Amino acid sequence: MGDVVESDILRHGAFEYIRIHDYSNYSLELFMAYDSVVIESNNRDFVEKLVRSIRTHNHTDVYLKPIFLLKSSKVEDPLINNLIDGVIFSIDQLELISDYVKQILLRIKDFVFVKSISLEAEIISRTINLMVSREKTELFAYLYLNSGLGYIYPEASIQFSPRDEHNLLSILDTAEQEGLFTSDFNDRIYLCTNCETGILSYREVCPKCNSANSKAEDLVHHFSCAYVGPVSDFKNAIDDELNCPKCNKYLNHIGVDYDKPSLLHTCNKCGHKYQDYHVKAKCITCHHDNDVENLLPRTIKNFYLTKKGRNVAYHGFISTSKDFNEIPGTVRFDVFKTMLEYEIERLKQNDATSNIAYLTISNAGELYSRIGIERQKILISEMIRILRKNLRSSDFIAFYSASTLILSLNDIPTKIANNILNDVVKITTMLLKKNFKNVEIHIETFATPLNIEFSHEIQLQQLIKRFETES
Amino acid sequence: MDFIAQEVDYFFHYISEVGTSKLVRIFWFFVIFEFSRLFVIDFLALIFIFIKRKLTKKKRKEARRQLFLYNPLISIIVPGKNEGKHIFKLVSSLKEQTYKNYELIIVDDGSDDDTEQICKSLKKNNLIDVFIRNEVRGGKASGANTALRVAKGDFVIHLDADSSLDRDAIEQIITPFYENPDVGAVGGNVMVRNYKETLATTLQSYEYNDAISIGRMVASYLGVYRIISGAFGAFRRDALEQVQGWDIGPGLDGDITVKMRKVGYKVVFEDRAVCQTNVPSSFKNLTKQRLRWDKSLIRFRLRKHKDVFIPDENFSILNFLSFLENIFFTIILNIKWYIYIIDVVINFPGILGMILVMNFFLYSCSNAFKLLLFNFFRERKNSPIYIYFPFIPLMVLYHGYYLRIVRTVAYIKELFFKSSYKDEWNPEKTSIRAKQIGI
Repeated sequence: MGDVVESDILRHGAFEYIRIHDYSNYSLELFMAYDSVVIESNNRDFVEKLVRSIRTHNHTDVYLKPIFLLKSSKVEDPLINNLIDGVIFSIDQLELISDYVKQILLRIKDFVFVKSISLEAEIISRTINLMVSREKTELFAYLYLNSGLGYIYPEASIQFSPRDEHNLLSILDTAEQEGLFTSDFNDRIYLCTNCETGILSYREVCPKCNSANSKAEDLVHHFSCAYVGPVSDFKNAIDDELNCPKCNKYLNHIGVDYDKPSLLHTCNKCGHKYQDYHVKAKCITCHHDNDVENLLPRTIKNFYLTKKGRNVAYHGFISTSKDFNEIPGTVRFDVFKTMLEYEIERLKQNDATSNIAYLTISNAGELYSRIGIERQKILISEMIRILRKNLRSSDFIAFYSASTLILSLNDIPTKIANNILNDVVKITTMLLKKNFKNVEIHIETFATPLNIEFSHEIQLQQLIKRFETES
Repeated sequence: MDFIAQEVDYFFHYISEVGTSKLVRIFWFFVIFEFSRLFVIDFLALIFIFIKRKLTKKKRKEARRQLFLYNPLISIIVPGKNEGKHIFKLVSSLKEQTYKNYELIIVDDGSDDDTEQICKSLKKNNLIDVFIRNEVRGGKASGANTALRVAKGDFVIHLDADSSLDRDAIEQIITPFYENPDVGAVGGNVMVRNYKETLATTLQSYEYNDAISIGRMVASYLGVYRIISGAFGAFRRDALEQVQGWDIGPGLDGDITVKMRKVGYKVVFEDRAVCQTNVPSSFKNLTKQRLRWDKSLIRFRLRKHKDVFIPDENFSILNFLSFLENIFFTIILNIKWYIYIIDVVINFPGILGMILVMNFFLYSCSNAFKLLLFNFFRERKNSPIYIYFPFIPLMVLYHGYYLRIVRTVAYIKELFFKSSYKDEWNPEKTSIRAKQIGI
């Protein structure tokens, strides 16, 4: 990754645009320095990947960035179409979009960004910010092949991997209950009982062995001798006549000589004969074979932003009423900042080493989606309990976001501070492995000594920048 | 009442005066046929059965051990129309069985009630293994053949839907197959569940308990057992397939038994394999049932399987005797009874009242003896025998007059009018075809 090539910087009026090609290899953080991104590519996969990366970036200066597509045709894909701000067909058209870019940037300027410890609040906040900055009031569900549900809400689904998109439905329901959205019915979908994705293959299967490998044949009843068997019993290799295998009589007339009272399926795997097959729904994602009666029904709605919802962008959104406001053993982030300021002052009077550190779950989105909201709270509480057990009472902890803790580890060498954090990581990982199968946690930690030469604000900013860049 | 008292008084006076030879002359029908067959032969056979059972106790035990060792799959097939209301009771009695390796196959033969819904619900709860719904009715035989088509067991048990079984009924009815490999079919012992319901059911219960059950034990011992009840019968599946399943009825129970015997299988009765079923509760329905049964005797014994009497390479003396016994004691004796009536009317017109009372006396004594004596040979009793005591004289009327008259009507209707082909028990479409080809 290098600096931006001069030819990729497009200027029009007061705005600077960064142009990205298929072969560009720029860091996303570079986009912060520009007013808008112009993607010049006809490669759909590349465009989608880049748009996803931008819209899921942690930093507000990246994920809300206006994005335009420079290409020769319109975009049909609903995901890309809803996440970009327009299509231009030549550089000359920058003039046409400059006003729109200006409006977006002006709106974003008025936004208040609040870091929340609640995943729900963070998803809702990011979705609303994206919508309000574009003056959108409708969050529609679109049928989408690559979605885990079969439907996507582009501005919101983007925050989840297809496997975890189901979590979005309950989050949007929560947002509706909070009065941020109203909704109307769009469709009903059924999800896999194992992984809650909705791409299912429906098959008629043998009720005994669940095999879809079967053949169906009419049963024929010959009136004269009461022989009953599949129609193949009556056929011969020579002509089209039907002859009874029991009495060898010729079956001439349906309703007079014979009838077909029922249809019989024969399983080619286990030989079971049946009339009523089971319908199973095989999950394409996890391969679990579901009984259709047990599939999880979910309602797909179209959402409409309310005035209260719109205010989220301008006032921030800390937590939903379902969230917990405070975790025992932690202090609020603003309190943390004040305490850090005092600690630096204290260090100025004493010859000691104190450290500032972060502990961040780098796959928090995926992890919280997998374990669910309730268990997310339990996990966080447990992690704080482990931390508190390993720290002294003079150390203090605050949440920076749903996935990141900021710590002040006082009066210990940095090496020991790092060792303590590593121990906490080990214990937390073990705890999670024990309680949640097939779920992985990736925790990154970093501790650095407090420098009495710099203000607490600067040192915090550097720390935050570090983990945001790392993640 | 005075007349009866006078006749009874006259009767005792008469028998004290008249000699034995004269009594035999007057009551020859009872002495020669009824007493010898229904009492003497049965009693002797029961003694032999009792001794044989004692002697073969070990063999029986070994057969049972083999059954549980090999643990063969048994297909229980239940064809029927509008029988949904009985199925749960049947399933419950099957769940209690000591022998567990069975599959339950229900064939709904074009029911027009809620049988389909009931069975589908039971199937969903895994209480039925296979449920086949025939949209159009094909008759009992086609229903049974449909079930046979999907049966996977080594043995097939045919049950009526309104049957329920003793806990050990399945093991008891299958054990004879392991006692003798030549056995192709085993008839179960059908008892009357609703014996307290009406007079008709009590009399039938008495009949099943006495004539049918004991009669079948004796017939089986003598090797002339000829009808496996559709309510409860077991078959080797390969044997059933060899005879190509059931042919159209009515009377398909007797027909399949004959078919089994004709291809060389032994057919036995197992009185320890007990099934309970409901019998017709009114004399009207009972008459309909018995007309159907009796007509089938003419249709199958005299018409369809008349080749049993022809001494060709397939001739079997046991089959011949089985048919002969059946025809003699039902058709011939029925005719003889009328000859007897004519005989006493012509030759003893003055003592007809006395003869009537005497017949009552003889048959009642015979019935009472049999009830008490044969009870010792029954390993499984349906009900305490004392409940039958008040009905002993009535059984004389039931057996001697009612059933005999019904039988006569049935024989005439079938012999001269082939009325079994008009019986609604079978769908018209199949009866027309059967009549055309003469089966």
